[in-house]
Amino acid sequence: MEPTEEENRPRDADDSAQIERLKQELKREHDLHLRALADYENYRKRVERERATVARAGKRELILAMLDLLDDFDRALQHAGKAPLSVAEGLEALHRKFISLLQAQGVTPMVTIGEVFNPQFHDAIGLVESEEVAPGAVAEEVQRGYLWGDEVLRPARVRVAQ
Amino acid sequence: MAKAVGIDLGTTNSAVAVMEGGQPTVVINSEGSRVTPSVIAFTKTGERLVGQIAKRQSVLNAENTIYSAKRFIGRRYSEVQSEIKNVPYKVIAGPSDAVRFEIAGKQYAPEEISAQVLRKLADDASKYLGEKVTDAVITVPAYFNDAQRQATKDAGKIAGLNVLRIINEPTAAALAYGLDKKKNETILVFDLGGGTFDVSILDVGDGVFEVHSTAGDTHLGGDDFDKRIVDWVAQEFQRDQGIDLRKDRQALQRLIEASEKAKIELSSALETTISLPFVTADASGPKHLEMKLTRAKFEQLTADLVERCIGPVKQALSDAKITDRDIDEVILVGGATRMPSVQALVRRLTGGKEPNQSVNPDEVVAVGAAIQAGVLAGEVKNVVLLDVTPLSLGVETLGGVMTKLIERNTTVPTRKSETFSTAEDNQPAVEIHVLQGERELARDNRTLGNFRLEGIRPAARGLPQIEVTFDIDANGILTVTAKDKESGKEQKITISGSTQLSKDEIDRMVADAQAHSDEDRRRREEVEARNHADSMAYQVERQIQDLGDRVPLNEKARAEQLISQIRELVKSNSTDIARLRQLTGDLQQVGHGLSSSASSQQGRPGGPTQQGGGSGDDVVDAEFTEK
Repeated sequence: MEPTEEENRPRDADDSAQIERLKQELKREHDLHLRALADYENYRKRVERERATVARAGKRELILAMLDLLDDFDRALQHAGKAPLSVAEGLEALHRKFISLLQAQGVTPMVTIGEVFNPQFHDAIGLVESEEVAPGAVAEEVQRGYLWGDEVLRPARVRVAQ
Repeated sequence: MAKAVGIDLGTTNSAVAVMEGGQPTVVINSEGSRVTPSVIAFTKTGERLVGQIAKRQSVLNAENTIYSAKRFIGRRYSEVQSEIKNVPYKVIAGPSDAVRFEIAGKQYAPEEISAQVLRKLADDASKYLGEKVTDAVITVPAYFNDAQRQATKDAGKIAGLNVLRIINEPTAAALAYGLDKKKNETILVFDLGGGTFDVSILDVGDGVFEVHSTAGDTHLGGDDFDKRIVDWVAQEFQRDQGIDLRKDRQALQRLIEASEKAKIELSSALETTISLPFVTADASGPKHLEMKLTRAKFEQLTADLVERCIGPVKQALSDAKITDRDIDEVILVGGATRMPSVQALVRRLTGGKEPNQSVNPDEVVAVGAAIQAGVLAGEVKNVVLLDVTPLSLGVETLGGVMTKLIERNTTVPTRKSETFSTAEDNQPAVEIHVLQGERELARDNRTLGNFRLEGIRPAARGLPQIEVTFDIDANGILTVTAKDKESGKEQKITISGSTQLSKDEIDRMVADAQAHSDEDRRRREEVEARNHADSMAYQVERQIQDLGDRVPLNEKARAEQLISQIRELVKSNSTDIARLRQLTGDLQQVGHGLSSSASSQQGRPGGPTQQGGGSGDDVVDAEFTEK
């Protein structure tokens, strides 16, 4: 070490200050190290949890788009009566095929009419007078809802009895 | 260690983000969404619903469903008369002119309602992170006064959160882009959300932000743009078919959704089709809607909405007593800023400056709040910014190819080892040629250094085990060590500055590798095919020697013929891979035949020392050339 003016100062005080500083630094570094380890551990766990859901999320997006198409199909069928019988029958067969394809993926339509309104499954767009169902129950279904296993894939859009 | 989160408590939607390993992450809520509607409902059965679920029942229970609580928080009853007209729930005057919501005969302060939203966000964050969340930074609009800020803070307390700080939304956006590190800059934040428009001008210096001016339009946002599409489509449809879709609630709902989708698509495509088959019906039968909408037409339909952004921007500039030339940075916030026409306008108004928009504009405020939370909780301040290796690092192996040990963009510090072997019998030394770059062949990459490890004991090729270790420390200093496992002899080289290439240089090298990737891959395949063929020739030759006269003469002759053909091709650096592979395959067959006919098989050289499990096929790939 090169001699400096500081050499005249008491070494003990110097050393203990140095030790104190290093202790603090070590404490901080140790804390950061633990935080990084914890962050990583939590991240790893979450990635593991998510791995299973990622594939499902990708599928979900596609199925949701298909439901949109199925809605159009449902609407088309309402007018199928005016088509020649053979065409109408063909369309109905196509419709059944479409639905069974979705069913094979675990997608099932919700039964809503007459059920007590529940925002977990139903998206209310209005109230209506109804003779058939009790007040507070679903009276009309504007857009069908679908479940995917236990999960709500798309809530049903409904009108509720007053 | 409890985590601190950043919360963007919005008028219609809220979001929460958190720092993880020094990086902000937006939390996915329990419904699987990145945003949560700021809606609270009290059901007739006394249940309390928050977020999406509350929104779904709002039309049935409008008087007990509170949304837009942010418009009331911290304000006096006498100030909010115009807001009260817009909401279906009951707003009354509380003690000393405070605002209260009356729900089922009970009174609630706006901060109690916002607290429910905050609580859900914090709970979702806890669930997402797998650890308890207690501390939060919450954002508010820059124009919020002290009372509104205090009330927001109280909402956090009611939610059981320790509010570390209340920060301005534009400041949070600036933090998300790391602009706190800038010295004396002027920042314009352009925030066009679903229903509101805010412009703020900030100054930053020494890590401190100061808001100079704010301006805006409380009734301008992305929803207005959707409505223009709805009206246009409905008018066109009425002209063609004589039916007004806006009068059919079901058709209108479908049209509104299709219009929003079209708007989003037109931010990336120049044209989209709005398709609503069986949208309605009349006496003549079902009607279908199918209409093309070009970006140009959309921009024409919404030109006046875009123009409405000009006034507030000019106002903010003049209030801050600056001109567009004084702006150093521009930040876009809010989903509606994804529209190209809005971005073009912002550029025009800020002197052609390229706006910051790499962070998702719907999430940038929550992200900035999370960064602030991380700083205040002491997580960010001390986090060492981890560097990455800009280019791959490796060594030259047999045939002049580069074998990568550390791939580009690996975060440092890092360490990687691989075991290699010799390419010749009794090879006494190996040459370690340290390379950097993305090309397949060693000669196309950059040489970082060279050294020799000598004193390898005489052995058949493939037997010695040379462990090569690449170690890059946090400062980017690379140490390459080669160690003969048998003798323990070791040599090393230290190379500093392997990460200090200029950005241009790195980009050029990466682009180069991409441009040559086909050609490089072919060359590498050639080298590998030759290596594999040579190794097979060597193995079978050894086998014949080991088995001696147990080998049937005709098979021996066939093997020797194949070996000499292969050696000739390898020696001439043949590029006829197909033929090499054919010969190698044939020889392998003969080799198998030899070992089975001699019943006991032994003497397969090389095997255990190699990377990749040491099957005969892999042997040569990683061997060094002797030089």
